[in-house]
Amino acid sequence: MFPNLKRDVGFPVIGSVVLFLALFGGGLIYQTILNNGSAERLVTTMLIDAIIVIGIQIYIGNTGILSFGHIGFGAIAGYVFAVYAISPEEKLKRIPTAPFGLTDTQVSPGLAILIAVVVTLVFAVIVGIGLARSGAQSGSVAATVITLALLFVTHEVAKSWPELTGGNRGGISFAIGESLEGRALILVVLFASMLIARLYGQSRSGRLAIAAREDSLAARAMGVNPLVQQMAALLLSVVIVSVGSSLRVWQIGSILPDRFFFDYAMLTLVMLIVGGRNSVTGAVLGVAVMTGARELARRLGQDGFEVFGLGLDEAPLDWVFRENLNSVVLGLAMVGFMIWRPTGILEDWEFDQWLYRRFGRGTQTEPGRLAELDDVPAATFEASGVSVAFGGFKALTNAGMTAESGEVVGIIGPNGAGKTTFVNVITGMVEPTDGAFSIDGVDLTGSASHELSRSGLVRTFQNLRLFGALTVRENVEIAALVAKEHRTERTLRDVDSLLAEAGLWEHRDRRARELDYGNSRRLELARAAAMAPSFMLLDEPTSGMSDSESLTMIEQVRHMAATVGAGVIVIDHDLGFITGISDRIYVLDQGQVIAEGTPDEVQANARVQAAYLGSAADR
Amino acid sequence: MTELLQNLIDGLGRGSIYALLALGVAVVFGIMHLLNFAHGELITIPGYLTYWAFNQGWNWWTVVPLIIVSAVLSSLLIERVAFSRVRGASDFTLLLTSFGVHFIVAAGFLLYVSASVKPYPRPGWFADTIAVGSLNIEVFDLAVIVVTIIVLAGTTWLLQRTMFGLALRAAASDFDTARLMGVKSDSVIRGAFALSGFLAGIAGVFWIMREGQVTPTAGINPMLQGVLAALIGGLGSLRGAVLGGLVLGLAEVLLRSWLPVGIQNLTTGFVFVMIALLFIFRPGGLLSVPQVERV
Amino acid sequence: MLEVTGLTTKYGAISALRDASLTVGAGEVVGLIGPNGAGKTTLLGSIAGLLPIDSGTIRFDGNDITSGAPEKILRAGLSLVPEHRRIFADMTVEENLKIGGVTRSGAERAELLDEMAELFPVLRDKWDTPAGYMSGGEAQQLAIARALMSKPKLIMMDEPSLGLAPILVDLVFELIDTLRAQGRTILVVEQNATRMLRAADRAYVLRSGEVVATGTGAELLDRSDLFDTFVGG
Repeated sequence: MFPNLKRDVGFPVIGSVVLFLALFGGGLIYQTILNNGSAERLVTTMLIDAIIVIGIQIYIGNTGILSFGHIGFGAIAGYVFAVYAISPEEKLKRIPTAPFGLTDTQVSPGLAILIAVVVTLVFAVIVGIGLARSGAQSGSVAATVITLALLFVTHEVAKSWPELTGGNRGGISFAIGESLEGRALILVVLFASMLIARLYGQSRSGRLAIAAREDSLAARAMGVNPLVQQMAALLLSVVIVSVGSSLRVWQIGSILPDRFFFDYAMLTLVMLIVGGRNSVTGAVLGVAVMTGARELARRLGQDGFEVFGLGLDEAPLDWVFRENLNSVVLGLAMVGFMIWRPTGILEDWEFDQWLYRRFGRGTQTEPGRLAELDDVPAATFEASGVSVAFGGFKALTNAGMTAESGEVVGIIGPNGAGKTTFVNVITGMVEPTDGAFSIDGVDLTGSASHELSRSGLVRTFQNLRLFGALTVRENVEIAALVAKEHRTERTLRDVDSLLAEAGLWEHRDRRARELDYGNSRRLELARAAAMAPSFMLLDEPTSGMSDSESLTMIEQVRHMAATVGAGVIVIDHDLGFITGISDRIYVLDQGQVIAEGTPDEVQANARVQAAYLGSAADR
Repeated sequence: MTELLQNLIDGLGRGSIYALLALGVAVVFGIMHLLNFAHGELITIPGYLTYWAFNQGWNWWTVVPLIIVSAVLSSLLIERVAFSRVRGASDFTLLLTSFGVHFIVAAGFLLYVSASVKPYPRPGWFADTIAVGSLNIEVFDLAVIVVTIIVLAGTTWLLQRTMFGLALRAAASDFDTARLMGVKSDSVIRGAFALSGFLAGIAGVFWIMREGQVTPTAGINPMLQGVLAALIGGLGSLRGAVLGGLVLGLAEVLLRSWLPVGIQNLTTGFVFVMIALLFIFRPGGLLSVPQVERV
Repeated sequence: MLEVTGLTTKYGAISALRDASLTVGAGEVVGLIGPNGAGKTTLLGSIAGLLPIDSGTIRFDGNDITSGAPEKILRAGLSLVPEHRRIFADMTVEENLKIGGVTRSGAERAELLDEMAELFPVLRDKWDTPAGYMSGGEAQQLAIARALMSKPKLIMMDEPSLGLAPILVDLVFELIDTLRAQGRTILVVEQNATRMLRAADRAYVLRSGEVVATGTGAELLDRSDLFDTFVGG
């Protein structure tokens, strides 16, 4: 579940303790200085906000999907908590005709929270399925609207079902607020939320969700099913939001439809975005910063500059310092950050990971070279009779090829010859009109991308698809995590050794998006190798490379493939590169295989020359 | 039968307003992939102007042009101040920017007007009905339907027959190529916002008349209906947006009349559930635009 | 007429063009050939203002147009027929052409429409059909006609024969001949090197983002090392 106990459990625990103490301690100091009831309320509110924002961070931060719906889930939890926790006497006043015999039921607040979590989870599963169906991925608009719709449904139902909710006017109020003495429960929950959020982010599921957030296509090509990880993140985040919302209701002692609506969704989102949505540290920082900013704005709005003890005769800027200034501050913060710093103050900087890199890791030595594998199970890739037609246009006609493990097979052809279509078919992006492909006789036609890579056919991308915000090492680690689960019959190579093998050891802590081109290509290769593939499919690995870079690439591809015992299928436009690297070559032209053979045979083939130079011999 | 016809007309009246709102959302979405959560502000702002104008002694004859003009100007202003700075940014950034704009406008009215409801008179003919056989048709519904038909016809003409319309469609289908042809990106985006504002202004005239009052958050409902209708029809499709609006309006009215009396006030909730089902079984909306995944 | 000096363009970390220079004189047909991935499309895209340029200058008709917006560069008289044609599939043939002439006055646009109908009889027959329904060859002609609608001083074509059947490739080259006969200036990126060299007055050979050879079409055809550039060696 955790790739590295020290990094993924130990330091997150330490980090959470520090974060917790910072937020709570800061609140305590503020409260001590001001020493009044409203300061105490403000701090309590901040701590509960922090729980809810951290809960939301688990979903938005790890999946990249913008959700307004978490406050809708919060509303569900809040109401469930309320109708279970308040006393029957109070219910007789507020909701005498509640359905399901709820009027007479009362349970302890703790149990009510539990019930609230369970009920809300049921809704979360339903919404999660809807999100998955809508093809939710990082930044997807339809998913966001679905979550927005959820927020409105809950609000609408809360307003228009007064028998259960007390409706818009009286709401439900109950006097259990004072039993939340010393905030012990809030503190426990807050610390737990921080810890859970950090542990999830470092866990296998969290890592895979983040990979999909960075690049859904590449994640699927590494065997990740984003929908599963998104659902996991959703459920976990809903649990925390539900607990936080129940505590909020408990704290205030009442619930109204508008408490969990647009304004609160806005507040929590701004808190998350300002600090940096991709990091728990950022979420906590955002809560602190926005609580402070709003409080300052509120008091400026009330008292103007007198807040600073300036007894001015004439109130300057009184057209700005008005009541409700804090709402404007929220809106301005949101738009301002989106325009000037959409990733927030901290981007994805995580305190405990910084701590780990600085103090926890100790010195590392570059692992030694890996020996080539010689006892790999033999595998055969076969594609036959593959045809693809788009409308009337035949992109591919009856194309076929085979490849054996240990072999490098090249596919080449001029622009528009059908190479890309062929790649799209055997990577599951395009369903062939006719034909099939298989590994060791297992038919893979029509499989999804993540199934293909789990079956042993792992691809790279022509235009480089790395998980940009993750480090070089983390990129490879993602693939290793999947391999550990789905490629157990193969020899799995250690992540550090693969990094060293690819010449990336010194770059291992850099973010993938900071790498230069050659290193990016090598990283893609190492990442694919970490999947312990039976076959690596390299799509134009030298596009944009100079001749000398291409030459070194030949060595690296061959070596990397031998290290994990994979066969290689390489598609490229550059005949020089292909002839240098391949044992056998297939030549495509106009959607058909026009030649097959060793590099020498192919180069001597008149049809190949014609296809390439368009010489008069053919046309 | 009579009741069904009656409901159909009511639904069309309601749906026409949604269709105009959705079309405005779709036009902007097509051109810069921005789902505009601030679209409702194009009703809030004219709403407050309406309140102000009636206090100044204006009447509906002069307020209607005020609503339309102010909606267009607001749309252009919001583009200029906020959206022009996030052109080409990620969808996440675009969504939150528009959400933030909604919030700033709402908070501005909260700050400088007040949270309380600001009423103004509805037009005198608002509740009038015309009897056609056994049907009682509301003049308001009739006006909405007629005006919507005229506006949609005009918009169709604009999009099909004018160079601006062609440029808009070209830019929506392939922005870079349209620029290669000489279409000016600034002009076409501003044009799209102006058109979106105009459509919101027409819808706003009826919305504002019907409400008879305005609050800082008055834009939330029209925004939601517009966005949902655009999504029901299929994001990116202009025809879909109109269709989505009509479907949404009809669904609301028909559902309200079919639901048992006890739970009629949950109509909106049920409409949402239906929409959710639609997305689950047809994720792209009614007239879905095929999405090609680029490698 | 067109003068490109020391152009370097990067895609993220990928260096797609390194210090590339070329010139096109008025009335010339200039070919740009090289293997796939050599940077030909990047070069045209950089000239047309679609791609950000890292260094180098582009001058056209004596004016500096480096890093101009595409719509400005078109107004300077440079028109690009993009790779994969990129016609507006939902719009009719006529509407596509009208968009091509968006910078022209109404009367001039009408004249140009007539001219295109004459030059491309195929289009006349499909005038009101959505362009998405056309075959590859027809779509290519539409893309070229659309670019001509702006009355460009120089027209750039990116792989006009891409994905076309041999007979349609012939048609494209005939079209280039026709346009040359009209005295137009043309810069063509083409993968079909031999055909291109025969059709062009001059040509540049690109490889790995660098200009590796230049000369008249005939000179380059005689270069025995040219095959190696494509096939490697």
